[in-house]
Amino acid sequence: MNKAKIKRITGRTEFWIFLVLIIMCIAIQAVSGGQLFESNTVVTILRAMVVDGMFAMICLVVMVSGGFDLSFPAVAALAYSLSTTICVSMGWCNTNPIAGFLIAIVVGAVLGMFNGWIISNFKLNTMIITLGTQTFFVGITMGLLELKEITSTLPVGFRTFGESYLFEVQNSQGLRSTMTTMFIPFVLLCIVTSFVLNKTMFGRALYAIGGNEVSAERAGYNVKRVKFILYTVVGASAGFIGMIRVCMARQSIPKAMVGKEMTIIPAVILGGASIFGGEGSVFGTICAVAIITVVSNSMLLLGIDTYWQNFFNGLVILVGVTVSAIQAMRRRK
Amino acid sequence: MSEYLLEMTGICKSFAGVHALKNVNFKVRPGKVMCLAGENGCGKSTLVKIISGVYTKDEGEVLFEGKPITKITPAEATKLGIQVIYQDLSIFPNLTVMENLAINSEITAGKKLVNRKSWEATAKEALSKIGYDIDLNAKMGELSVADKQLVAICRALLFDAKLIIMDEPTTALTKKEVDALFKTARQLRDSGIAIMFISHKTEEIFEISDDVCIMRNGENVYAGPTKDLTPKEFTYHMTGRELTDDHFVTRNVSKEPVLKVDHLTLKNKFTDVSFELREGEILGITGLLGSGRTELALSLFGLEHPKEGSIYLNGEAVKISSPIKAQKLKIGYVPEDRLTEGLCLQQPISDNITLSSLKRLSNAIGLIKNKDILDDADIWKEKFSIKTDDVRKFASTLSGGNQQKIVLSKWLSNDLDVLILNGPTVGVDVGAKQDIHALVHDLANEGLAVIIISDDLSEVVVNCSRVIVMKEGRIVGEMSGDDITENKILEIIR
Amino acid sequence: MLAKVKNFASKNNYTTMLLSLLAVLLLFFSITKAGTFWTVGTWKGIVMQFPEYGLMTIGVMFCFISGNIDMSFVALGDFATIMAVRYMAAHTTEGMSNGQMVGVILVSLLIVILIGALGGVINGVLIAYLNIPPVMATIAMQLVWLGLSTALTQGYAVTGVTPLFTEIGHTMLFGFLPVPLLVFIVVFLIAAFLLKYTTYGKKLYMIGTNVKAARFSAINTRGMIIGTFVLADIICCFGCMLMVSTMNSAKADYGTSYVMNVILILVLAGVLPDGGMGKIFNVLLAIISIQIISSGVNMFSSLNPYHASMIWGGLLIIVLILSTRFNGSGFKLRKRKKKV
Repeated sequence: MNKAKIKRITGRTEFWIFLVLIIMCIAIQAVSGGQLFESNTVVTILRAMVVDGMFAMICLVVMVSGGFDLSFPAVAALAYSLSTTICVSMGWCNTNPIAGFLIAIVVGAVLGMFNGWIISNFKLNTMIITLGTQTFFVGITMGLLELKEITSTLPVGFRTFGESYLFEVQNSQGLRSTMTTMFIPFVLLCIVTSFVLNKTMFGRALYAIGGNEVSAERAGYNVKRVKFILYTVVGASAGFIGMIRVCMARQSIPKAMVGKEMTIIPAVILGGASIFGGEGSVFGTICAVAIITVVSNSMLLLGIDTYWQNFFNGLVILVGVTVSAIQAMRRRK
Repeated sequence: MSEYLLEMTGICKSFAGVHALKNVNFKVRPGKVMCLAGENGCGKSTLVKIISGVYTKDEGEVLFEGKPITKITPAEATKLGIQVIYQDLSIFPNLTVMENLAINSEITAGKKLVNRKSWEATAKEALSKIGYDIDLNAKMGELSVADKQLVAICRALLFDAKLIIMDEPTTALTKKEVDALFKTARQLRDSGIAIMFISHKTEEIFEISDDVCIMRNGENVYAGPTKDLTPKEFTYHMTGRELTDDHFVTRNVSKEPVLKVDHLTLKNKFTDVSFELREGEILGITGLLGSGRTELALSLFGLEHPKEGSIYLNGEAVKISSPIKAQKLKIGYVPEDRLTEGLCLQQPISDNITLSSLKRLSNAIGLIKNKDILDDADIWKEKFSIKTDDVRKFASTLSGGNQQKIVLSKWLSNDLDVLILNGPTVGVDVGAKQDIHALVHDLANEGLAVIIISDDLSEVVVNCSRVIVMKEGRIVGEMSGDDITENKILEIIR
Repeated sequence: MLAKVKNFASKNNYTTMLLSLLAVLLLFFSITKAGTFWTVGTWKGIVMQFPEYGLMTIGVMFCFISGNIDMSFVALGDFATIMAVRYMAAHTTEGMSNGQMVGVILVSLLIVILIGALGGVINGVLIAYLNIPPVMATIAMQLVWLGLSTALTQGYAVTGVTPLFTEIGHTMLFGFLPVPLLVFIVVFLIAAFLLKYTTYGKKLYMIGTNVKAARFSAINTRGMIIGTFVLADIICCFGCMLMVSTMNSAKADYGTSYVMNVILILVLAGVLPDGGMGKIFNVLLAIISIQIISSGVNMFSSLNPYHASMIWGGLLIIVLILSTRFNGSGFKLRKRKKKV
């Protein structure tokens, strides 16, 4: 390995965020008397990462393209609420959840298209646009359609799918934890995202547009089309992830997604994505989500009141953005 | 086959009734370097955009390799072998060199997946065209401007370019880098590619070009071999005026220096700089890009903070910690980049003019009357003949020259001892340039101490009573009065 | 006359649009709810409700004009009011005289101001000195303040508000002017005055347009940004204090939906976080329009508050799309500032 290569690796946010994750885990392991790496704790943390990690993936691709999506929680909420409501009233999904997932994906895609249409046709700040569509979608979910919470009446298909697990572990004290089946779609989504971003011309288009939109156009990309497809796919994925969440929580609550963007987006930025676009990777994002999940989940291990969770999350993010801002300043000098 | 690669005759183009191009004729020979020269706003860029298919011409005939071409689109221009390297280079700073080189041709080939090997092969092929060596995995944004430019050239060559148009490629290059660029250009020329080079720098044009086409006010006033021209004739064609060898002559120079810079050093930027400036003088500081001239100016204005050396104002040692302090010490600074450092474009002209003198126009507790702002702005509008019907219009509505007048008035409406002008006439048309120079002369004669920082040597020669030449962060020469000539400066600078 | 109107309309796209919107809304509700819309009760509701977020909107407006954004103001305000109400609860005893209660209230207001100022200084320093993008800095601070409040209160509402404070909050001065509205009017007038007649206002717009050029013009840009956040966050904390008087308690997550609502109102009014643009009069029109929509929707028994939210969102999208067609008024979204 030559010097340039080492420098390139250490110059990347991903490297540092990974290092922080490792050091933090070792520290917590030491302070908590070896509880963090107990099999059941690890499984619990991985389980807790599933939904946030998947949302982080879709945030990542949008941010790579230089956009900002505040509307994905609203899209997910509308998609899964509508889907479960339809399934309940039609009596579907009592054996398998496929129909429910399909409906959510279609609804998500339609909403995503709406975002995509506005964003690709009008030169507007994506953050403001998606703020508008977020409010609009929330209004549709709980105002126009008046979709209600579905808890005990949730079709059995979702329930059994959500309760299914890959394996079960037991720690020395006999505490059990199950590894949910939902971990598979999570891993798959990460792989697919990574593949799309790195190995397809579409993914390179996202980086190119995020880096310099005018140049991307000159280079021959159809920027409008790329953006439209991007937001449509992101919408469809949001619907899908929303359904995963419904299955895991075994309930469909339209309000449950409110404010989710405020915790996911900072995590993605912590993982090396830039709000100016063109930067970010799946690995870094996963590490950042892991850091935040580990911090939240090890409060108890460390004997800290769980009410401090938000505070520490905020602190981690604050430190993360400060460090990267200072790095950027140094680089400019 | 025709002797010429590209022939354009009788090209006309107007925007909203205003003639941007009037009956332009010129020819490009294959295997030659052709320079398109002219002052700002003469229609050079409009012409380039017509060649590259961004604009369509209103009238005229275009022949490419002897065949007439009626309608050019950007895609067709690429197919014909016309490649434009824009000033912004159209690169992706966040991607690697390899990706920057290969991405265009991969898109054109309609690929769906990324094949690293094919990308690498394409990138290597591109680099081999000019025998240029660079780390393919380096991030584009971290390269120097010169390297970025070479990458952009390599990329253009991938498309079997027959004509490469470079839009002011030397603007942000150091002398060494310019030499390297010219070497590449000659290499390409010798391989039969025509190069069209857009510039307004006399010495560069004479160094590199075989043919030259000079434009003024949308017309081409000269087209032919460069060697048939003398620099003097060239400047005449460019500006439409005989170049006079008049210097600015100082009238009332104070005995004691207003500003004294003593052994000032800013790490990695400039070293051991000392000079004095008196009232009524116009001191020129010149040097190539990266010579430390701008950093020196910023240090005098409180935006850079040299650790060593000292600055004296009227005999007193001062520490200039910020522009606010500089303003208190009666130092004004007209920045290099008007658009990002000088103006709030989307705000009224009046607010831009009065931005630094709000304290004077307001009362003790910071209350201000809009009428006072407008009145003050009107005074400057008259004094400086800023061409606008209403000072409440946005600064973005003005031409470059008038915008520069706003930036100047912003500082002149303060009570100043020292005025530093960094590139005062960059991107300014001839008329406004004269106005600005005349004003600066008047100011100096009224007792202001002026520093002009510029790499436009003719500007330095005509306007300065004394010149300091900087090179690699050090002062390497000083001359005054009639000793100041372009040739002498050039000798030292190289 | 018609020419004058036309000239005004072409120069003031936003004002014209918002005035027409207001007219349409008033007309619509006058027709559909003729009986209930023009009653004292409805309008009392309207003027009682909007001052809370109206104040926050004015506060955040300053940040937007300076080219920044604040996402932390509600969380900060909740934290400030929690501390204030804790102080009130500790120092209010039964049978206190009004004079003593006024003393307690004044001290708690001082607490709110100090915490608001602290939050503003932190935001400003993070943005102006550490160069953190404003969205990121303030989202992080939002989590920090929310986290602190949650940790201190364990998620419960803090009660024990001095009775006089709640009473004042519900008082109608001269029989028609609610105190919250009076507070709003006073703050609005001060804000309008600051923007229009002071050097601060002039500089604020210039900084928002091009902070670098302002710095090169010898403006103390860092000081201005910190000062603006202090001002904005204090005003927002006052908004949260009004919330306390309505709810008679303080809680870590009161008013969290106001963050997005406030941004929505500002954008609707043509004040964008890109900076340097927007008029405070349009902000007032937008605040009133938004409140009339929610109050109007409230009058239909078959509708719930989320119908209003749907209308707001739809309205924002339409306005944004229309805004791309405005020319010459200086309203065009500039490309996002990029650091290469």
